[in-house]
Amino acid sequence: MLRRKLFREIRKNLSQFITILLMVMIGVMAYSGIEAYMAGMTIAADDFYRDNNLQDLNVMGENFTKEDLENVKKLDHVKNAERKLEINVINSSDNDKGFLASFIETNEISKFYVYEGKPFDPESKGAWVNKYYAEANGLKVGDTIKFKYDTMEIEAVIEGIIHMPDHLYTIRDEAALLPNFNEFGFIYLSYNAIPEEYIRDAIMKKLGIEDEALLKVFMPDINYKEYIPYNYIMVDVDEKANVEAVRYAIEDNIGSALAIIKAEDTVSYSRYQGEIDEGKGFVGIFSGLFLFIAVLSVITTMTRVIKKQRIQIGTLKALGFTDSAVQLHYIGFGFWVSLIGAALGLLLGRFFIGGVFMKLEMDFFELPNNGAIIELKSYIVALLVVLGISFVTYLTCRKQLKENPAETLRIELPKVKSGTLGFTTSKVFRKLSFGVKWNIRDIIRNKIRTVTAVVGITGCCVLIVCALGMLNSIDNFIKLQFEELYNFNYKITLNQGLNKDETKALTDIYGEYTSKTLGIEIKNPSGEREANSIFVYDAGEKIRFKDKDDEFMQINRDDGVYITVRLAENLNLKVGDTISWHVYGSKEFYDSKIVGFNRDPQSQIITATRTYIESLGLEYLPDSIYTDMDLKGQKDIKNVESVQDIATMKNDISGMLEMMRSMIIIIIAVAVLLGVIIIYSMSILSYSEKQYQFSTLKVLGFEDSMIRKIFIKQNNWIAVAAIILGLPLGRALTGWLFTICLEDTYDFSTYIHPLTYLLGAIGTFTVSFIVSQFLGRKVNGIDMVSSLKSNE
Amino acid sequence: MSKELINFNNVRKTYSVGEKNFDALSGASFTVNKGEFVVILGPSGAGKSTILNLLGGMDKATSGEIIIDGKDISKLTPKEMTHYRAENIGFIFQFYNILPTLTVIENVELINDIVKNPKPAMEVLKRVGLEMHAGKFPNQLSGGEQQRVSIARAIAKNPLLLLCDEPTGALDSQTGVEVLKLLKEQCRSGENTVVIVTHNSLIAEIADRVIRVKNGKIRSNELNTSPKKIEEVEW
Repeated sequence: MLRRKLFREIRKNLSQFITILLMVMIGVMAYSGIEAYMAGMTIAADDFYRDNNLQDLNVMGENFTKEDLENVKKLDHVKNAERKLEINVINSSDNDKGFLASFIETNEISKFYVYEGKPFDPESKGAWVNKYYAEANGLKVGDTIKFKYDTMEIEAVIEGIIHMPDHLYTIRDEAALLPNFNEFGFIYLSYNAIPEEYIRDAIMKKLGIEDEALLKVFMPDINYKEYIPYNYIMVDVDEKANVEAVRYAIEDNIGSALAIIKAEDTVSYSRYQGEIDEGKGFVGIFSGLFLFIAVLSVITTMTRVIKKQRIQIGTLKALGFTDSAVQLHYIGFGFWVSLIGAALGLLLGRFFIGGVFMKLEMDFFELPNNGAIIELKSYIVALLVVLGISFVTYLTCRKQLKENPAETLRIELPKVKSGTLGFTTSKVFRKLSFGVKWNIRDIIRNKIRTVTAVVGITGCCVLIVCALGMLNSIDNFIKLQFEELYNFNYKITLNQGLNKDETKALTDIYGEYTSKTLGIEIKNPSGEREANSIFVYDAGEKIRFKDKDDEFMQINRDDGVYITVRLAENLNLKVGDTISWHVYGSKEFYDSKIVGFNRDPQSQIITATRTYIESLGLEYLPDSIYTDMDLKGQKDIKNVESVQDIATMKNDISGMLEMMRSMIIIIIAVAVLLGVIIIYSMSILSYSEKQYQFSTLKVLGFEDSMIRKIFIKQNNWIAVAAIILGLPLGRALTGWLFTICLEDTYDFSTYIHPLTYLLGAIGTFTVSFIVSQFLGRKVNGIDMVSSLKSNE
Repeated sequence: MSKELINFNNVRKTYSVGEKNFDALSGASFTVNKGEFVVILGPSGAGKSTILNLLGGMDKATSGEIIIDGKDISKLTPKEMTHYRAENIGFIFQFYNILPTLTVIENVELINDIVKNPKPAMEVLKRVGLEMHAGKFPNQLSGGEQQRVSIARAIAKNPLLLLCDEPTGALDSQTGVEVLKLLKEQCRSGENTVVIVTHNSLIAEIADRVIRVKNGKIRSNELNTSPKKIEEVEW
């Protein structure tokens, strides 16, 4: 019978229980959804890396011979090694399209994940194309593609559509910020697909021979396949712990190795990992906050719902029901509602939040089996939420049961301390209007109810300000980067390997504002080496810098290097310290004095003047030119890899941040929804608790409109108090998120637009006001007699 | 009829309000025999509801003995008290205290969960004249009908004692008379001893025993040798 009562009570107070259910659902949905997204990202990549044997090291050079490969294989802890020729090729039929083409001998390391078609066959002259490019260009197995590189042109039949563990993120070059699968993809072919003529021409060029007959004289039994200029050796190390040792061994033993990059330092891996790290920080904190606010609201709501059942608890006790039977009955209120809410939350979290976030990510990253995954942790958290709410219900019920039934059957009157009466009987207080006096007394005598409402609404205000503040900060970052630090119209990226004359020919036309970025390794305080870059600056006013106080600064000292504030923090360096670094491909280390800090929003690197770099004996040949000339529509400039206008660059980075923006918008939507529900729930409870007093006021002859005003006034006060607390807390939370959660690459400073504060305040107040108005209307319908009786 | 059922012996009940204590009952003593229709009469604050709560095992005496059917319930543990309430006491409240989300018959059947041999719910409903309303919810009934549900729920237990706290207090006089008739019939059938707490002195005229309470003390405990019939009282 009590079970029947339970479900009837829930049905009778459906709106109240639905709000509880929704709060649990949204809290669990936000938490489990975001966790499912993070778990999906992590597990999909980990599985892919493991199953398809991602290489541990990439050894870069110019001409790796068979002997080099064998020498690498012989090193301790090396399980396997493979050579690869990796080049950027252009689609023969459309110069705007291209591939990163890899020619391989075997496919034991970084193995294909064949989505469609055949596995790798070294004897085949066909091609394996990445899925995203194939989809964007309508290519399928059996189609033919044609591409060119230098003098070589290859036509190949597509043998398979693939994903690759070392190509989760594919961009054309460093200048491109965003993958564009319509224009650029990756393609794999067997080394057998390289035309002999191309290798022959390359050998002849290297030897300075123009006549093929002469080559045959010098090398009568030439096997062209042995002269393929492999520029990569992929290395599979037996254990992670030995990667560093193998790296040093290669440095010491393989003379042709110019640079050795760990898998973790590759663009593909680090970009993907960056997303996970960023997600763990950003959205992880949001998910926790959602859960916290939702559970807090549910707990306070459940406590008050049970308290409202006081007389019924007393009746059941008076009838002779045991405490445990009554407890079990009331635990059911919290248990069943939160169980359904949590189950729905898990389901919706997986498909709605997790699924949508994963889809947003997979627009940029290419890997198989990439669904959101609800992990055991989320089930445990959901269960803990259900148990926690049930436990609080139990505690509330137990508190009521501790009283003897005679006590429980009486209405609980608020405990008024004589201290608080001091104010409410003072002269000043007496001069206030009735409504103000009534509300002040009500607040003073129901402190917990008031504090709960303020905390719940503050939480929502904080979430809204924080989420909008993050959007503001991202927009501010784009403005800072592209309107303040970049002061040019076009960036010209030069081809690699140009000589002095070729470079000069370009600077003569497009101007002297140049820069060069060198891949370097720096020694961190523990003596380990980590990959970084040095930006050699000779771009005058075209590139500007800001100091740690966000003031413009000059990079003009030629006796050392500047490092970014965030890098300095990470390496625990200060001005005057020395930083040790070397350029990839050279073993010579330089100890440079740190002469200043600059703040860079998107890359934490070292900056030095051209004069300083040249003073170290390094040659300065720029890789970029910055100009304000009108280069609109110019594509095919000799020795130029790309021409980017500032608007396109800005759009590219905006596009890259679009994903984050979409996630934040979803978070805002969920925050607003949760906020509305919390405010509604708090208000409806508050109303039902005041209903008895309102009916008394009605009996005394107060007009409905006046009672309504009193009710709305108190809710408005609470909303205003919550807003006053919520706005600065929202700002603080945003700042905290940016400080601790952003990937090391970024250094956004918090910027919250005044409009955000206004929106946060107006939004919170409006929701509270609308709910108050809606509930205020109920005053008209109060049945004085039954309201008074039911409370007795 | 002469067997003693209640022996309320020198009972004191002290409540604490803030730092002050006050005695709701100060050494109250009375006895009641089995099968009597008893009215405890007194003004507001006299201590009559406290007596009812103590008799019903809903509150504990500060000192003194409360012997019900030979057993001192003031010595019972909370668990034993719950058992005592379930097995021996039927409560009828001024504002009915029936559960609003259960139907009339369900409110009566609720007892089945706590009592070993309850009376069949429909039989009890017939007795109080509510068999036609068995499927209705409390808010579809009048005040008198709701009080009859409360009576049905109480007598379904077949309790030793029916304790009624101002059972007609919320009812008009005509409905009140019907409720009292029911209670009297229940008493006369020999099944229950009925104790009614009220400030309405007219009810005393139909009682077998009238106990008057004032300021926490028993002023008198008198047997009414010629109780009036309900119809004879001018309500």
